[in-house]
Amino acid sequence: MVSFTVNHTPVDISGADDKPLLWALREDLGLPGAKYGCGIAQCGACRVLIDGESVPSCSVMVGNLAGASILTIEGLPGPDGTLSLVQRAWIDEQVPQCGFCQPGFIVAATALLAQNPNPTDAEIDEAITNICRCGTYPRIRRAIHRAAATISQS
Amino acid sequence: MSRIISRRGFLLTGAAIGGTALVAAVGGVGYLATVDVDGLDGFLDGDRAVLNAFLTIHDDGRVVVQVPRAEMGQGIHTGLAMVVAEELDIPFDDRISVEFPTEAHPAYATWFNVLQVRPEEASGPVVWAGRRVLGLLGFISTGASSSTMSLWHPMRVAGASARQMLIGAGAARLGVASSELSTGDGFVRHEASGRSLSYGELAREAAILSPAADPALKPATDWQVIGTRQARVDVPAKVRGEPVFGMDVAMPGMLHATIRHAPVFGAQVARIVNEADVRTQPGVLDVTIINGRQVAIVADSWWRAEQAAWQLDVEWTGTADDGASSADFSRSLRAALDVTAPYENLDEGDAATVIGSNTASVVEASYEVPFVAHACMEPINATVIVREDGSAEGWVPSQGPVNIRVGIGTGAGWAGVEPTSITCNVLMNGGAFGRRSDQDVVAQAAFLAARHRGRPVKLIWSREEDVSRGLFRSHAAARLRAALGPDGLPLAYEAIVAAQSIIQSVASRNLPFNPGPDGDRLTVEGLDKLHYAIPSRRVRSQNVPSHMPIGLWRSNGFSFNTFFTESFIDECALAAGADPLDYRRALLRENPRHLAVLDRVAVMAGWGTPMAPGRGRGIAIEECYQSVVAQVAEVTIAEDGEITVDQIFCAIDVGLVVNPDAVAAQMEGGIIFGVTTALMSAITIDAGAVVESNFHDFPMQRLHNAPEVVVEIVESDLPPGGAGEPGIVPVAGAIANAIHNATGRRLRSLPLAVTETIGERRTRSVLRA
Repeated sequence: MVSFTVNHTPVDISGADDKPLLWALREDLGLPGAKYGCGIAQCGACRVLIDGESVPSCSVMVGNLAGASILTIEGLPGPDGTLSLVQRAWIDEQVPQCGFCQPGFIVAATALLAQNPNPTDAEIDEAITNICRCGTYPRIRRAIHRAAATISQS
Repeated sequence: MSRIISRRGFLLTGAAIGGTALVAAVGGVGYLATVDVDGLDGFLDGDRAVLNAFLTIHDDGRVVVQVPRAEMGQGIHTGLAMVVAEELDIPFDDRISVEFPTEAHPAYATWFNVLQVRPEEASGPVVWAGRRVLGLLGFISTGASSSTMSLWHPMRVAGASARQMLIGAGAARLGVASSELSTGDGFVRHEASGRSLSYGELAREAAILSPAADPALKPATDWQVIGTRQARVDVPAKVRGEPVFGMDVAMPGMLHATIRHAPVFGAQVARIVNEADVRTQPGVLDVTIINGRQVAIVADSWWRAEQAAWQLDVEWTGTADDGASSADFSRSLRAALDVTAPYENLDEGDAATVIGSNTASVVEASYEVPFVAHACMEPINATVIVREDGSAEGWVPSQGPVNIRVGIGTGAGWAGVEPTSITCNVLMNGGAFGRRSDQDVVAQAAFLAARHRGRPVKLIWSREEDVSRGLFRSHAAARLRAALGPDGLPLAYEAIVAAQSIIQSVASRNLPFNPGPDGDRLTVEGLDKLHYAIPSRRVRSQNVPSHMPIGLWRSNGFSFNTFFTESFIDECALAAGADPLDYRRALLRENPRHLAVLDRVAVMAGWGTPMAPGRGRGIAIEECYQSVVAQVAEVTIAEDGEITVDQIFCAIDVGLVVNPDAVAAQMEGGIIFGVTTALMSAITIDAGAVVESNFHDFPMQRLHNAPEVVVEIVESDLPPGGAGEPGIVPVAGAIANAIHNATGRRLRSLPLAVTETIGERRTRSVLRA
């Protein structure tokens, strides 16, 4: 049995040490916000925060997560459901088109801004490597800058 | 006259057909020349007041707009709800939500695409009969950038009709004449007495009134919603990661399935070598062959099904295409350009003779594009249940219920089951781009569901199955010729395209008939350049069938023909010693709409201003989906050949704009989709099979290499055009022209660059050697 927390709630998972976290979240924990897009850590649609770091959950096995603290897209809003600052920026810039990949982008941007609250375009380019087939990149960049501006004002 | 109607749903076809026929009989033939909108009758259903087929109002004032078009990221749920809100006279706020209706009301049919007639202009017996037939068939689909064009008028009328019904109910309640009442903010008001009633209070009484036959529509000068930037109704749930996509479906007792298709299309399953072993894998409940062609594994978890599928050892039958390669396809296409009797698409004047007698001034060039995949971010999936009582239901991220219904019928049929009823739930599409207008995955899921009666089965294709075993945009080649006159402009233009026919391939899988070359507009769209003033014109095409399944793919023929033709027009301009912008201006002299768009993009891009060495600028324009779109690409070519698309400027006349932010988003996204296709995308065939399998070898633009995009919408007096596809159409031509401008090299096939991997997830595009 492996014990860790997901969105601040303790979970125990048995007999699934070789199962990727992505599928444990989607199938066992009822958290489908992280998406399966490629299964080979290329697209980032499955990104979650593991101890604050943005990681493609398709490529992390449950067996390696003992004691980890995991946040998914569902865990980003506050306890009262208030959207995180990054999620808010995503709405203000009307980023999503189909929206399937956006949880992964929001998670990646959340990790970036936690580490670097005012990233340059070059730093955004370096940090955000997810794929969006709809091509929302210009708005993703704007939303990250908007979220950064909100951080600097608060 | 008021009627009390209380029933679970619309009396579908009978009421619509009967009603219309009655009116037609009473009104005589004159009726057939008038415009009408179906589905305006209301009824009560529990606490819902159904005002008409497009609009439900709850007691608490919530307005649910029924939008029978799939939301795949284009913002259509928002745009069409805005149209209803405008005429209903209610602000576009959180009182309004959108549902995809599960009932196949004839008013929802996608007849615009088939009949090519705008609803506001529809008249005459042929159109009348066509709409009735397509309505009866439940032909409800989303595509061809048509949703606003096909529904904006009917849904305006639906909003206006409901408003009239609410006023009628208010008049009855207040005991005053309707003419004394006004509306605003979701209330019916009686100014004289200061009394007002909310739409929620009146909805039940309104729903049972007869709809106004021809409700007055708001003049455009009074619009407060249409034409304003509105936030999309689907965005908050998507930003929260809520389960809105087909892949997110979860139900009690649900089974999970994965699939393996043959590497070579057309092969059948000879045998599953290790079936007994695979059946013993953890979680595996079933291993089965679907329709002789695929192997599916059903398990208690998709992850476990997929793990077991990796263990499968399947022996496939040999096919005549086992040796096929991309080089073979290329040779076949090039040979097809020389067939003696191609399909005759268009003749104006005598282009062949003009070209033959002006050989000194002839410009000729051949072009080619490869197969490409859709690669929607949400992998292909469908969830279906076939219940013990014979009823079936599907939950699918699909472009329309027609694909779900047909797919369930097909797949259940493979298992010997004929469903007694089929309910179709169209979920959010995680990208579609034409891919989700096919019944394939639905039929497979339905077959599995019919084998596991009473339990929902969710089938997901892995990304590898999607990229290498799915559907593709045609591989295509073209040869273009023009004879230039003394002023350098074409006297005659000739184009032939050779490709696997899009619609014939789609029809072979999805329709009970094949429209043949007469029915294939898609493969030649973008080739005729009718907007260019050219005295003689000749357009030909040749279907080159292959074993590859071709699907609808965002902008279809335009995705290659506009690359061909706009590259070629540049070649003509340069042969004539003319500036590419000036040359196009001369060719568009009789088309002020196109000229305005071209001139706008030229101003946006600063056309003609000097560029640094190694940089270049290219322009392209197209008329498509009743819109006109022009783009200028700016590229930088480094010493080592690395191509950077720095910026793309885009001007579009999309006719009347409902939600300008949605149009801008479609241009931005479409352009980046187009840059991926122009620089990076190729599906290659070796030994009959697709080589690429996932995003590492079918790469995409990412944030670091996506160009800056600048969009301007040109004011227009025309009714709405399409916005979902035009954005990608001029991209490849504009970039190829820019590369020529920067380097003097003319690239005549896609992709324009070689993609090099740098680091784990970063790529760069390098000019082809």
